[in-house]
Formats: sequence, C-alpha cells, structure tokens
Amino acid sequence: MKTTVREDRLLVVSDVHMGNRLHRTRRAFREFVQFALDHRYSICINGDGIDIAQLSLSYLVSDLTPSLGLFVRFGDNDLRIYYTVGNHDIALEHFLTDIGRMKVVPFLSVHSGDQRIRVEHGHMYDDMFLRFPRLYFLFTAIGRLAIGISPGFYEALHNFNVGFIRFSNWVLHGFGLFEKKKKEEPQGDSIPGEQPYFREGAENAGLRGFDAVVFGHTHLHGALTLADGVRYYNTGSWFANPHCVAIDQGRIWFGPVSELVEKGDPFPMSEDEVVAAITGVYPVQVLASEPVKLVAEVADR
Amino acid sequence: MKAVGQREIQRFADGEIIFAEGDTSTEMYVVRAGKIEISKHVAGHSIRLAVLDRGAFFGEMSLLEGLPRSATARAIGNVAVLVLRPGSLLLQIRRDPTFAFELLQQLSGRIRDLNEKLVLKLATAEFGNRLARSAFMMSAAAEYTTARDTGDQPAIR
Repeated sequence: MKTTVREDRLLVVSDVHMGNRLHRTRRAFREFVQFALDHRYSICINGDGIDIAQLSLSYLVSDLTPSLGLFVRFGDNDLRIYYTVGNHDIALEHFLTDIGRMKVVPFLSVHSGDQRIRVEHGHMYDDMFLRFPRLYFLFTAIGRLAIGISPGFYEALHNFNVGFIRFSNWVLHGFGLFEKKKKEEPQGDSIPGEQPYFREGAENAGLRGFDAVVFGHTHLHGALTLADGVRYYNTGSWFANPHCVAIDQGRIWFGPVSELVEKGDPFPMSEDEVVAAITGVYPVQVLASEPVKLVAEVADR
Repeated sequence: MKAVGQREIQRFADGEIIFAEGDTSTEMYVVRAGKIEISKHVAGHSIRLAVLDRGAFFGEMSLLEGLPRSATARAIGNVAVLVLRPGSLLLQIRRDPTFAFELLQQLSGRIRDLNEKLVLKLATAEFGNRLARSAFMMSAAAEYTTARDTGDQPAIR
C-alpha cells in the first residue's frame, strides 16, 4: 500500500455519503468527476464516500453507476482515483489496496510541486469516536434505523441528540460554573463549530513537515492558517454545500464544488501543458518553436 | 530552541551536527524543514549512508533500543526538526495516530533497502569467489597442459 504519492493536479472532496437515503448525489457527483476528467485532475474521495454504515443499496447503485463509467477513463488518461477510508466506510479497511483504478488508503501524503499535503478523513481526531467507539457505532446504527423509517424522523432524532449532548455537557461541567474541561482542550482558533482536536491533529501533521492538511468528517467546511503558515482545510460534506480542495503544482484553491464546476478550473492548463501531460513530452523552453510542433504531431497521432 | 505547546522544535544551521556517532542521547527526530545527512565513520573515512528529506524520521534506533548513536546526523542547509523524547513518543502516537503507521512504513522501507544491499553484496562476493575459482582452475589447467606438453611433473597445489 502506497500512501505517499506525487500528484501535480488533484481534487479532494469528502463525505459524499453515496447510498445514504438522506440525500442524492447522482448528478452533482457525476458532474464533479466529469470536471476532474476534463481538466486532467486526479481525485481523492477523502472518506465516507460510500455510506456503508447507513446504506441503501438502491440509492448507492443509482448514484454511483453514472460515475463508475467515468472512473474507467481515469486510468486511460494517466489519472488516478484515491479513496481514503472514513468512519462510515470503515469496512473498506479490509481493502486497503489498489482495486482496479481506485487506490484505497488509510490516508494520503501528497507531494505536489514543492509542497507536502496531508489528506486524511479525520475521524481519528474525533474525541467521541476515540473515547466511546462502541457508543459511536451504536448511534450510527440507530441513525440507520431512523433513516429506514423516514429521513424526517432521522433529522428530528439527530437534532434531539445534538441538544441532549449540549445539555449533558452543560450539566457535567457544573452548569457552566466550572470550566475545567475546557481548559484541557487545545487552545486556539478552530473552524466554527468544530472540536479543537481536529485543528490539533492538523498542527501535529504540520510539525512533521506538511505544508497543508485536508480533513473531512465533521461536515463543517472551512479553512484556517495555523502556526508557521501551515494551512488547514475541511471540505465539509455533500449533504449541504460541498466544498473542494484543488491542488495544482503545490498551489491550493478551496471553495464550493458548485463554484468549481460552474466557474471553471482555478488553475487552467495551457495547451502545451495539456499536450505534455498526455504525451509525457515536455517542450524545451529555449527551443520553444520546434519541439512544440513535434509534440503537437505526436498528439495528433 | 522553540516549543509549540509541549512539542519541541529545534533548529540547526548548515553543517551543524545534531548528534554524533557514539553519543548517548536518546531523542528521535522528524525532519520538518531542510535536509539531514546521515554518515558513519569506517576505517577513518566518513561514509554517507543517506540524505533525509522533510517528513523522514531519524535517531529512532537510540530511542527504541537505548544504545549509543550508530551514525552521525548533520544539517544540510537550515533545518528544523521535531524532537521526540522517550516519554513523549507514546503521547505523539496517541495524538497523531498516522505517525505510528508512517514510522513503521519507513522502518520497513529501510529493512527492504538493507536486504537489497545485502543480497547485492553477497551476490557480488559470490561472483568474486566464482571468478577467483575459475581463474585458479584456468591457471592450473594451463600449467597442467604446459607440463604435459613438456613432459614435466605438474605442480601440486
């Protein structure tokens, strides 16, 4: 299993949750994959891409099938699809290997230009997941049952759960009179609504020589600049306003997937670059005119 | 020396020695910026074993085994390293679970490299032995032929 890769151009999204009855991704995900293919980006589905924990097989088949046809074309164009495992598809850890065009990995260290970028789902920094894993999976299973009854019932249960956790914390912390627990948490800015452990996880990766860190898992999109200029991104989820990280030769763009698909490539390739990427032949700058012609001939063939 | 929370970052200038062969320090390091040269003294000569880039670990042998340093680590250019002491290694793994995975990955890669070098060396030595044996046989055969032709007694080796 290779977790360190070199990719000049890569798109990262997370938490697509294909197969979950709470939402449909059929068209939007296909457009995203088509965009990647058209603009010569490899893609990384950064965890919870297929919602095995709360799966509806008919939704999965319906949503994934249009994109599968495009996946095949990635290999033909010397592009790759990476799939980092999250907590809703943890069963895929049994397949930590290359499955056809798709490379299933626990995390990814991307070298692009002179930048080192860590791509990881991020559930390993979720305090609840680490401290109470059985409870976490129990809640997920209850969620699956609730979705089976009705998506509306699930939403109501989810809101009740969030309220209950907030109330419990308030009671456990002495009705807000004691702040002991908060002082134990990592200090500093976080993406709004996100536990500070995720930022701390990103900081730890930064200490190990990564220039940028991309997480998912929390369904809260946002970007932060950490100590020593390390950038931290969370691409949110496809339940609402999915975001994306686009990487080109170490440059990073972060924004909504809809903006990427509608407004176009933030790092457009020149014709020479496209030809060079297809043929693997790079025009020499000093002798620009002649080699470019030669490359163009190769491309025509 | 700079501390970020409880984690320690050390900076070294070009050519500065981080630790020398035989030292009894037990920290391990992760390269955060710059490059590190690992070298070893053999028969009065310094042999470069590796040049480590960002993200690479070094010094882990002394931390894990408590033995003196087996090689010298020197900064190439301006270098920043994350310092891990024996007590903080488990905490680091707890905070940063992929760290353990990458540590094992790199150790596995180093064992693979060493195995390949060992196999190459053994194969070269075997080839050398066979070459010497062949040369000896050819020389002995030539002597025997000459002795037979001239009627002399062949030399017994």
